[in-house]
Amino acid sequence: MRKYFLFILFLITAGSLFAQYKSVADKSGFNSRFTVASAKMNSIASDFTQIKNLSLLSEKITSKGKFYFQKDDKVRMEYISPYQYLMVINGPKVMVKDGEKTNTMSSKSNKMFQQINQLMIDCMRGTIFENKNFTTRLFEDGNTYLAEMTPVASQMANLFKKVNVILRKSDFTVSQVQMFEPSGDYTSINYSNQKLNTSLPNDLFSIK
Amino acid sequence: MTYSALNKKSLNHLSITIIAVLILISCAPKTYKNLQSLNGNAVCISEFLPKYDRVLYRTTVDVAGNHLSGILLIKEMPDSSTRLVFSNEAGFKFFDFEFSKTGDFKVYSIIRKMDKESVKKTLKKDFQLILMNKPVNHLSPYRFKAQKEDEKYYAYHEGKDYYYYITNKDCTSLLRLERGSSTKKVTEAILQLQKDGVPESIGIQHKNFNFEIILKRIEENAEQ
Repeated sequence: MRKYFLFILFLITAGSLFAQYKSVADKSGFNSRFTVASAKMNSIASDFTQIKNLSLLSEKITSKGKFYFQKDDKVRMEYISPYQYLMVINGPKVMVKDGEKTNTMSSKSNKMFQQINQLMIDCMRGTIFENKNFTTRLFEDGNTYLAEMTPVASQMANLFKKVNVILRKSDFTVSQVQMFEPSGDYTSINYSNQKLNTSLPNDLFSIK
Repeated sequence: MTYSALNKKSLNHLSITIIAVLILISCAPKTYKNLQSLNGNAVCISEFLPKYDRVLYRTTVDVAGNHLSGILLIKEMPDSSTRLVFSNEAGFKFFDFEFSKTGDFKVYSIIRKMDKESVKKTLKKDFQLILMNKPVNHLSPYRFKAQKEDEKYYAYHEGKDYYYYITNKDCTSLLRLERGSSTKKVTEAILQLQKDGVPESIGIQHKNFNFEIILKRIEENAEQ
């Protein structure tokens, strides 16, 4: 009974996340403003806090780190606390370091990874509505846009029921990504202390 | 978000190789045939039972040259069941298992790539070994007839599977855990306990096969 209660509580909480959002009528206006804002943006350096919510266990696992993006297709996501984990995307190449081992691979060899990779880059480049792997609905509140992205392909839908990307209206930067699993668990990544267009060393994105 | 797919290839191989483990088990050496039963009970084992109230482990799985990493949460629930949830570092969940208070095993979720009976069965047995969740009155003491006289074996079995908790001669120190049949060793596990009873690290190694799971406790900050 307790489990059902927690589940209902989760649904109410999850529902309230979107309660204040309303649908955006002028999608093309959003698109053009997003594209203009993205064109001015060459790099991002920010902190992030990731919270994995295990709904039925009423449990949260929090991790923190640094995020870097360099136009056009370079991403570094570095988990620092409470564990260390590094992922670097540089064009088609991907490197993962899990503390003990480093794996390098090509996203071209993995269709699913290619799709996820593309989603991440689209969020930064302002091209999420051009992504054919998701159907996207757009909402807004006073300060943010919420792009609700639902996977089209079943392979991706097995992993994610939907992915919400929340963008700041002021500069179209991503403030939060929420990933909802079919099981009801979800993970949110909050980006903070964002610094735009600073000079980022190439080493951050080097893949050996 | 992005990184679940990174381990896809590894997971494919993981499934295949875990299935292969079951075939190779039959080639394992006869380890336990010289064990003889002893009088007495296994009460002394109570001292070594790990306490997994709520603990996170940095986890690596190496199987036949493939590498997989993630975070394992072990949590004791209010109904005294134990949940084991394994996700990758970015939060994507691989599986969610439960051992009930009485030791019954339940799979809440598992990703499709790992959703094979042999994989689930192997992981269930590996976790059952390290949880040491069998009441000690189900265990019986044994000793080897001639060799290894400095070790004592406390064992129980479920069907054809035997679970061994191995201590020093006086049962004042837990040396390792093993699983196998009544004659053959399949898996060996080492728990490094801390004073609070939570294992600091755990190593699970399958014999005669390159399959190893390493768990290292993650210390979380107070704010988390």
